[in-house]
Amino acid sequence: MTRTTDWRHIFGLREAGVYYALLILLALLAGIAHSRGLPAYLSAQNLGNIAYQASLVGIMGVAMTVMLITGAFDLSVASVAALAAAVLVGLAPGIGFPLAALAAIVTAVAVGLFNGAIVQFVGINAFIVTLGTLTAVRGLVLVLTDGRSLMVEQPEVLQQMLAFESSRVPLFWPLLALVAALLVFAALRRRPFMGLGGLVLAGLALLAGPAFAVAAPVIYLAVFTAVIWAVLRFTVIGRRVYAVGGNAEAARLSGVNVNMYKLGAFVLSSAAAGFAGVLFGCRLGAINPTALQGAELTVIASAILGGTSLFGGAGSVLKTVAGALLLFTLTNGFNVLDLGASYQGLIEGVVVIAAAAIYTVGGNRRGAAR
Amino acid sequence: MVEAALLELAGVEKVWPNGTVALRGVDLTLRPGRVHGLLGANGAGKSTLIKILAGAIPASGGTVAWRGEPVRWSNPRAARAAGVATIYQHVPLVPTLSVAENMLLEQRSGWRADPAGRARAAAVAHLLGDPFDLDAIVGDLPIGTRQMVAIAQGLMADPALLIMDEPTASLAGHEREQVYAVIRRLAAQGCAVLFVSHFLDEIVALTDEVTVLRDGRAVLHAETASLDEAAIAAAIAGRSVTALERVVREKASGAPVLELRGLTSPGRLAPSSLTVAAGEILGIAGMLGAGRSELLHAIFGADAAARGTVLLHGKPVGRTPEEAVAAGVALVPEDRATQGFVPGMTIAENIALPRTGFAVSRAREADVARAAIERLAIKAAGPDALVSELSGGNAQKVVIAKWLTPETRVLLLDEPTAGIDIGARTDILRLIRTLADQGLPVLLVSSEFEELLGVCDRILVMRDGAVVAEADPATMDEAGLIQLASGTQPNTGLAA
Repeated sequence: MTRTTDWRHIFGLREAGVYYALLILLALLAGIAHSRGLPAYLSAQNLGNIAYQASLVGIMGVAMTVMLITGAFDLSVASVAALAAAVLVGLAPGIGFPLAALAAIVTAVAVGLFNGAIVQFVGINAFIVTLGTLTAVRGLVLVLTDGRSLMVEQPEVLQQMLAFESSRVPLFWPLLALVAALLVFAALRRRPFMGLGGLVLAGLALLAGPAFAVAAPVIYLAVFTAVIWAVLRFTVIGRRVYAVGGNAEAARLSGVNVNMYKLGAFVLSSAAAGFAGVLFGCRLGAINPTALQGAELTVIASAILGGTSLFGGAGSVLKTVAGALLLFTLTNGFNVLDLGASYQGLIEGVVVIAAAAIYTVGGNRRGAAR
Repeated sequence: MVEAALLELAGVEKVWPNGTVALRGVDLTLRPGRVHGLLGANGAGKSTLIKILAGAIPASGGTVAWRGEPVRWSNPRAARAAGVATIYQHVPLVPTLSVAENMLLEQRSGWRADPAGRARAAAVAHLLGDPFDLDAIVGDLPIGTRQMVAIAQGLMADPALLIMDEPTASLAGHEREQVYAVIRRLAAQGCAVLFVSHFLDEIVALTDEVTVLRDGRAVLHAETASLDEAAIAAAIAGRSVTALERVVREKASGAPVLELRGLTSPGRLAPSSLTVAAGEILGIAGMLGAGRSELLHAIFGADAAARGTVLLHGKPVGRTPEEAVAAGVALVPEDRATQGFVPGMTIAENIALPRTGFAVSRAREADVARAAIERLAIKAAGPDALVSELSGGNAQKVVIAKWLTPETRVLLLDEPTAGIDIGARTDILRLIRTLADQGLPVLLVSSEFEELLGVCDRILVMRDGAVVAEADPATMDEAGLIQLASGTQPNTGLAA
């Protein structure tokens, strides 16, 4: 079997733009740090920090990408995450951390089912429904917390929560194992790309040193992304997700249960938000009623930076994670390098619009060439 | 006596930026009061030529002269201002506005409720035989009526040249008659008409002269009176095409495979019972809106309101599309672009869409797609080509290929040859016969009664959501079938 590979397409701005942007930004910030005589910006610790800061938005962004691929939209994720955090912090002292976390995620899934059922079976636009739940769920958080911050005060419960969220996972040996697996697979299947990726990863691992470790949420993000990516890429479920967004009627008439897939996307989105909320609650051992307000916009911005279409049928979870990393690299760079926090929002907004412009113009060119 | 040319094309070429040559020097002369037929297989360059005439894209070479003056329209508005009205095949109407407002979209000033504009719209509607209510919302109208609205919209500016890209492709018999009558009336008033169609009979009956495009060149230009259908078909195909002849086949006498018992859908389909035997091709004839698609959708479980029993090999089939597909029922829907394929996906992915299971094997799917490309003669670069980049006939073949699996035990085809060229159409009809010969029962819905008579073993005629008659293709002719379907005297208008 011959495989034709369109290198120009794979490395083009439209396909790989978000990776270039991330690399350029990192290089730029490293250059600024160097010229100002600050500690090295590209240290393993700082990069690990960026990934840690991006992890909650990344987890919600991956699920949001699946949502956008099916052609729907979820504005309520940040409120759902806050609700999950409130349920966790409120229940943990009474029933212990594992059960409270489960209750938090079940609560989130219930909101997702509600959103999805209204959108699919009543037929109201997802934007409107989730705009409603965005406000209503935030209101529910206020009611539950009575407008005050809640805290977990039992030291042993707090200890469990911290262990779940803040324990550091050594990555050096797992990374080397991953590199070995990649190289073996690349050699067996003759995939030069994968081998190259393995070598780059090996280089990075060696640079970071044997003491390299990241916070647990980074691992959660990596595992969740890998699972969703593999499902989208390698399974019939994944293809049907794309088909439902690309042409729902054609999918339906091909025997795809469109309602189930759309409902499933809402449940996945809310479950991911619930998990992110659990992580958030664990991080502080406390919740205040305005926590994570506005985070849904960062989540959607990550997906857009990753080139996900708002019209459904296209998108990549890996690029969404790259988009989230890009946004948090900007934030991190402004803080670490003290570049004037007032400019941060302005620049983030411009980056999002520029990315969307590149994808749209790239898309038009391709269309016009037919 | 030959009048001066209204529009004269000399050596018009079009090369796309990616190097694809669409037109290689086309000459075309349109005269006032004459109906000019334009034919060609899919991909021959008809659409490109029309877009150049409409000002939607510039030509890469050659000259366009309008009333003797060389012109170079840079946008559609310039062409419309000059007096060219173009009616595209896929109707660009605003579904949320009323008919009158759609007709007045070009209006550039004044109030929304302009009495003069409204009067003009009413006059144009009257000219068309008042096929619609001016205040109806376009989205609520059936597709045939929408086509009439698009024609009405084109006529609002009182054009000197009317370009129609397959205006009758989605119309039923009596609606076609109205379009023919309008074209004849406009021509009599001195309007030039460029009429693009796949239907040879209407070209022969309606046009004064004919141009045939093949591979970007005009390979035939002649007075229609000097041609017959066979000569035109040969020019389109570039080879001699024998019309699809009726082959007398062994009557399928196998046990019934598909059986409907009192299948009904409120307001759409009267209780219907029928059986299809193994290897039988059962045709469903009827005018637009007669309930043909509704019958297929009810069988397929795509109509949630449908009640009744569908038995496949004696076992009831579930009432959702998932269960129907799992049982082996396959549907090729009427509108391939909105119901048939996923445009952003490749040929291989589209063909694999009904597959269930867990893991995707891309290599195996590419092999399946390659086999389908070969078997159905799909013109495409390979399994990785996007279906949205294929021409209509090739996209339709992909939609059919989706169901060519051993799991398919009954095939429902809804207008499988609508809007596709004669070559692809012959391929598809041959395929249907081959499948039936291998024992697959087929339900074939078509507005081409000639096609039904040519391939079916038995024909059921539907009217107003009910099966009203059964016909034997061996003893029935097209006129008789039209009579049964429309409930009137046979009158195609073309014979006149």
